Amino acid sequence: MISVSHLTRTFGSVTALDDVSFEVHKGEVVGLLGPNGAGKTTAMRVLTGYLPATSGAVSVAGFDVMNRSLEVRRRIGYLPESVPLYRELRVVEMLGFHARLHRLPRAEAKKRIPAVLERVGVADRSRDLIGHLSRGLRQRVGLAVALLPSPEVLILDEPTSGLDPLQRIEVRTILRDLAHQHTVLVSSHILPEIEAVCPRVIIVHRGRIAADGTQAELVRRLAGGSHVRIEAVLGADASAAARLLGAIAGVREVRDCGKAGIHQQYELVCDTDLREEAGALARVRGWALRELSWRAPTLEQIFARFAMGGEETPAAAALAPAAVHAEPTGLEVNLGPAAAAPKKQIYSLNPFDRGAQRDLSRPVGDDEGGPPPS
Amino acid sequence: MRGFGAIYRRELAALFLGPLAWTLLCIALLLNGYLFLLYLRGSGGDIDLALRFSLGESFVFWALCVLLPPLLTMRMLSEEARSGLLEYLLTAPVSDTAVICGKFAAALSFMALLWGTVFFYAAVLAAQGAPIDWGVVSAGWIGAVLCSALFCGTGLWASSLTATPVVAAFAAVVINLVIVLLPLFASLSGMPLLVLATESVDVPSHLRSAFVFGVMDTAYVTFFGAWTAFFLFLSSRALEARRWR
Repeated sequence: MISVSHLTRTFGSVTALDDVSFEVHKGEVVGLLGPNGAGKTTAMRVLTGYLPATSGAVSVAGFDVMNRSLEVRRRIGYLPESVPLYRELRVVEMLGFHARLHRLPRAEAKKRIPAVLERVGVADRSRDLIGHLSRGLRQRVGLAVALLPSPEVLILDEPTSGLDPLQRIEVRTILRDLAHQHTVLVSSHILPEIEAVCPRVIIVHRGRIAADGTQAELVRRLAGGSHVRIEAVLGADASAAARLLGAIAGVREVRDCGKAGIHQQYELVCDTDLREEAGALARVRGWALRELSWRAPTLEQIFARFAMGGEETPAAAALAPAAVHAEPTGLEVNLGPAAAAPKKQIYSLNPFDRGAQRDLSRPVGDDEGGPPPS
Repeated sequence: MRGFGAIYRRELAALFLGPLAWTLLCIALLLNGYLFLLYLRGSGGDIDLALRFSLGESFVFWALCVLLPPLLTMRMLSEEARSGLLEYLLTAPVSDTAVICGKFAAALSFMALLWGTVFFYAAVLAAQGAPIDWGVVSAGWIGAVLCSALFCGTGLWASSLTATPVVAAFAAVVINLVIVLLPLFASLSGMPLLVLATESVDVPSHLRSAFVFGVMDTAYVTFFGAWTAFFLFLSSRALEARRWR
């Protein structure tokens, strides 16, 4: 439905989009995720034909965006971030104007307008002047405008920005409903939004695609998957523990995280929660457990790593060869610092470390300096 | 020209939903009506002469031509660019040309309505038993509308260049003044070559020498049409250029 290949867009000396490629298939709901200024809005403007691409090919619904612009525009519903609406018009008049722009037959417009207003929940305000509506209501009217011609592709730029939490939930519900009938591309810098609505996520960072895949895939590939963390006094099993833990069904890898005092730490990489199995093993072997926890990284943690760690850490370099898709269903990921050897530091960008970290093998106050014990 | 009708209707509605159009119309009509009476008295009852003054010869006609269209068109593109509505319009299935032409036609309709009051004056005089040459009245009106079209074109172009309506209006007034006063400047310079050069782009004399006498010369119609089209073309290019910046 949407096909973008090697899209580059520059504004003077600033490169807003740099060799971006992705594809969205019919019926997919894709979230475009990235910090402010990452290039989300520019990407959407290029897709809608508002901005021309500096180079690269973009097609929507099978039509080239540059050459068959009108064909493309007829097939998309676009809600820009600023929600542009004529303030002096009433809600129904605005929709009537949009229907005329799209050449909807009068009878069909008459049927569709109340239907979309009902759908976004502003049917009771249809006679109000748009200038008198609150931000949230205007946002919904904007959504109704985008939905009116029943477009094949919906492109929504930050549809929930400026809304209160309740309205946000409502918009989210609407979006989830839409997913059944349209191909949807939603941008946001608010993660719960994307997590709740979009099965597939494209993370944009500094004009490049940093990652592209389903949420589960992203979490697994980028953060090394979920794991069970176990910290225990092993006693006589010290040497055999790793082997024993690795024998639990479902454990893909056992990471030895070293010793904290007398406690040995392990991370069991697995896709499902294996705490009970690990606990049972500990009970049987008589280990003195101090910690047994299940850690699954969220999209938010991955995102934060891209957003915050992009500049100073080697992550930026790792991100540079951005994912170029030959096959859209495949997952292409650029591993950031996760691939590098774990290094003890006061502030860690590793999503599992949750910020500040103290080297536990040393006394308090001896955090700085000195290599970690090997 | 898909979407021309829809945009034209909306622009016209926007003009007449706001107070600006009504205020301008009210002032211009009062002025025009009163002046027409004065012209009629001054000419000793020569209706043709009075009409000629109303639709081309008088200073007030040119003042209205220079000032009114910029006030009508100043908001049309600049404000939309600022509020993001341009993004909405240019991603809707309408061409840039349709957007420009729809807005232009709305402004021109307003001016046509304004000058159309001469038909009302003529009808009142005819009802009093005066002989009216309707051909002259119509030609005079068409000439005034064509001339206003040119100034609506410059106004729209100015509006497409800036995001501030007031700047757009000011720029358009300056452009219009230059257009109207160009022959004057040329004759003041005293250079025969310059006078000769400006003669062919002399807007006031193109209006005065034909339309107000009831002459519909296609060359003169083309003159106004071509210049208007030129400024509309510049506007649509400016709209296009906006995307590249």
